[in-house]
Amino acid sequence: MNHMFPFRFDSHLSFYLVIYVLTWVVHFFLMAYVLAGSLWLVWTTLFPGTGTVPRTKQPLARLLRDWMPFALSGAITAGVAPLLFVQILYRQQFYTSNLLLGWRWMVVIPVLVAAFYLLYVVKSETASRWPLIARLGLSIGIAACFLFVAFCWTANHLLSLSSAVWPEAYRSGEAVRSTFALSMRLLTWVAGTFPTMSILASWQLRGMRSRTAAWDASISEAEWAVLFNTEHRRLGYASIAGIAAAFACACGYWTTLETSVHTQLIGHAGWPWLIIAIASSLFQIVGWVMQFRRPCLCNRWLTTITVALLTALVAVASLREIVRLSLANLDQATTSTRAASQVGGFRLFLVFTVLNIGLIAWCIHMVRSRKPRIPQ
Amino acid sequence: MNAIYPVNDYGPLMPGLVMAAVAIVHVFLAQFAVGGGILLCYFQWLAMTGRSVDARSFVHGYFKVLVLISFVLGALTGVGIWFTSIQVSAPTIGEMVFHFHWIWATEWTFFCLEVVAGYCFYRYHDQLSARTCLTLLVLYAFAAWMSLFWINGILSWQLTPGHWLTTHSIVDGFLNPGFWPSLFFRTIVCMTLAALIGCVVVNVIPDLSREQRQELINKAAHLMIPMLAMPVLGAWYLYSMPSDSRSWVLGGSPAMMLFFMISVGASLAIGGYALIGLWLQKLYINGATASLLLLLAFGATAGGEFVREGSRKPYTVRHVLYSNGIRPEEVAGLRFRGCVSDDPFPVIHEKQLPNEVVTIGAKVFRRQCAVCHTMEGSNAVVHLTGAWDADQMRMNIAKLQQTKPFMPPFAGTAGELESLVQYIQWVHAKRPGSWPGTIDESNLPKIQRWLDEAGTAPAGNSPHPQTTEAEISIAPSVALGSLKR
Ligand code: HEC
Ligand code: HEM
Repeated sequence: MNHMFPFRFDSHLSFYLVIYVLTWVVHFFLMAYVLAGSLWLVWTTLFPGTGTVPRTKQPLARLLRDWMPFALSGAITAGVAPLLFVQILYRQQFYTSNLLLGWRWMVVIPVLVAAFYLLYVVKSETASRWPLIARLGLSIGIAACFLFVAFCWTANHLLSLSSAVWPEAYRSGEAVRSTFALSMRLLTWVAGTFPTMSILASWQLRGMRSRTAAWDASISEAEWAVLFNTEHRRLGYASIAGIAAAFACACGYWTTLETSVHTQLIGHAGWPWLIIAIASSLFQIVGWVMQFRRPCLCNRWLTTITVALLTALVAVASLREIVRLSLANLDQATTSTRAASQVGGFRLFLVFTVLNIGLIAWCIHMVRSRKPRIPQ
Repeated sequence: MNAIYPVNDYGPLMPGLVMAAVAIVHVFLAQFAVGGGILLCYFQWLAMTGRSVDARSFVHGYFKVLVLISFVLGALTGVGIWFTSIQVSAPTIGEMVFHFHWIWATEWTFFCLEVVAGYCFYRYHDQLSARTCLTLLVLYAFAAWMSLFWINGILSWQLTPGHWLTTHSIVDGFLNPGFWPSLFFRTIVCMTLAALIGCVVVNVIPDLSREQRQELINKAAHLMIPMLAMPVLGAWYLYSMPSDSRSWVLGGSPAMMLFFMISVGASLAIGGYALIGLWLQKLYINGATASLLLLLAFGATAGGEFVREGSRKPYTVRHVLYSNGIRPEEVAGLRFRGCVSDDPFPVIHEKQLPNEVVTIGAKVFRRQCAVCHTMEGSNAVVHLTGAWDADQMRMNIAKLQQTKPFMPPFAGTAGELESLVQYIQWVHAKRPGSWPGTIDESNLPKIQRWLDEAGTAPAGNSPHPQTTEAEISIAPSVALGSLKR
């Protein structure tokens, strides 16, 4: 790789890589909302705070409980697209590691089913009246499910990278080669979900500000103002802490990589992305600091942070691919993408993508112009 | 050459059975989701046009069920089926993804629409005008049905690739001979399932009088009227099948015939009940009966899926890929080179096997037979060969495609076949600690003769279309063949 990723590969390979990276970023974006959201709910349940309104009844926790089922639907649906393209780009690696994990890989599905239904439980009126210990169990259960799923994807990914150990992994059944590398990589993702969730939730909170009456009419307008302010700050702190932790864990993961991978990451393929990742992370931090100085969430800084976050995600996803490509067989990916680009159907896909984006926009337009709900 | 993948041993269950279970649950739920969309549009329309006063409360109650079942379980078993397919036959799913990834990607854009339209309705229906509700429901139903449309093309291609075999055009592959009959057939199944679940739901909506329930149930039963067309469509589908596959279903394979009859019988029972009871006599149907009919429908789906999976044998993609991941054009080469020398994966309990001969036999079994057989569990080779002596075993395995036409030809050397026979006999003999460590060379010439007599072609009676240069150049096996493993 002598050029910035994904340029100057065989054009077919570049094409599939770009699609893969973009669809994966969308998956990560929505997945982050549920993963970080579920951890946030654990925190609020464990530490309800001493104020008059417990943290579980504060705006963010309400919002998360309300929207996490949909976000999970979204995360799963969004996951299907990279799942498709990973099978074009890295078919042998992906299938082999799936097979080596065997039933341990299949467990992901029932665990996600359980988490999905638990999200509906946590959202229900009934669950909010449960004793603390039950609510705590519930929120920890949900977060554990998502952490487990993230763990499985990372374990699968790492195993798919190390073809040399496949026969031995098959014989011994051991799927994890280095616990340290696995934990560092996994923690990088987990920490990275916080900045992502923070920004999504900030936009939502901003939209919710005028609709609090539907939540709880007993809380006064002045109290809401204070609560919202506190939540904004918390989101900012969570985001900055997430970026710092992700950076630290990524450094830890770096130490486990081979020199040949380092060479690629700081070489032509990777260095621009490293710079972009670091710069856009700093931008996010600056954005949050500027945001702290404002009385409410303001459009300009939220937009800045959002753009910086998306840039950072694309950069990190690209670095993730550079690591994989420097360990994988480039010729293999080139040959299979070249062959795949011959089969046809891309234009069909484009037409229906445009059509369905239009229809989705129409759906959203219809519900946005609805009559506001009358508070009971 | 395909990549060689590790094979998991799921104990007495062969992977195909696990696959069948996930597939049946998923197909059942997904068809319910598709039919549910249609039913909801119908009821919303009934409510809006004043044809049924209670239809609105039904729409809102039913949609909750639809979301909780189909959004959650339907979507996740969909991913589950993908994961299971990889476990059962990575080469097959790889082949399907390779040829149809843009169709799949197109289907995915409809998933996105389905999720958004469905969720918009679910969250906001009580704040939206009846018209907007209908629009959202129509979009939801359209998206759900389109996902059936796309996947149906890929699945029917596996059994009836038709002209695609010579043209390799995606249009020929997608609009293959089985496409239309199975699309119509499945759509009717979807509507029937939705109507049956509708009957269950009507029975649990609180605060409805018996008359109100009866009216809703009779309206829901309208969705079962298309079942009248099922016999014709079923016949059309059978007609579109390759003749050998059709003959398995119609008696050639007792197991497949049994499942086919279950499917037909259950459908007849539901159809008869729907037409006579609900439509002509306007009968009431209580929750228990509705659930029973639903159970029958599940039986019909299960039988149908089993037949669909089973009738493809010995292929997973007709004329392109055998169930065990070997391609027809590879067989001749493997007879010469052998099928275990390039398999990088060791035998898991190698230490428990007495020697190299048996170990090779175990590898041959794993590569060629394990998708459809276990050694001692379901469809166990040890039991199937129980009455045979060694020479019968040698001959029947060498002529595998003639022994049972739904098995692929044996794809290994005479020595490997002998090792396989040794492995089977060793298990027969209750896995003794010591076993002859060398092959009796004198058996090899006759095995070779039997292999040659059977040839490398499959048994099927429908001809294999001529392979052209152009098609080879884009087949992934060849594309990947030049790569190092
Ligand atoms: C495509 C799936 C498939 C593959 C691959 C396959 N078989 Fe079979 N085989 C079957 C089915 C189905 C039967 C029928 C079982 C029955 O009749 O109950 C069968 C039957 C048999 C029988 C009994 C035949 C008889 O006449 O009773 C033997 C022996 C057998 N298989 C051995 C093998 C061996 C050895 C291999 C691997 C080299 C193999 N099979 C590969 C599906 C397969
Ligand atoms: C909420 C549940 C989920 C979580 C928490 C989650 C988390 C993750 C994480 C952390 C990764 C990165 C792995 C790594 O690079 O080390 C990942 C990758 C991925 N995820 Fe998800 N995921 C979830 C659900 C899903 C689902 C349901 C699908 C499929 C439909 C999916 C598809 C993918 C794909 C295709 C990749 C890329 C794999 C690769 O390139 O090796 N995810 N996911």
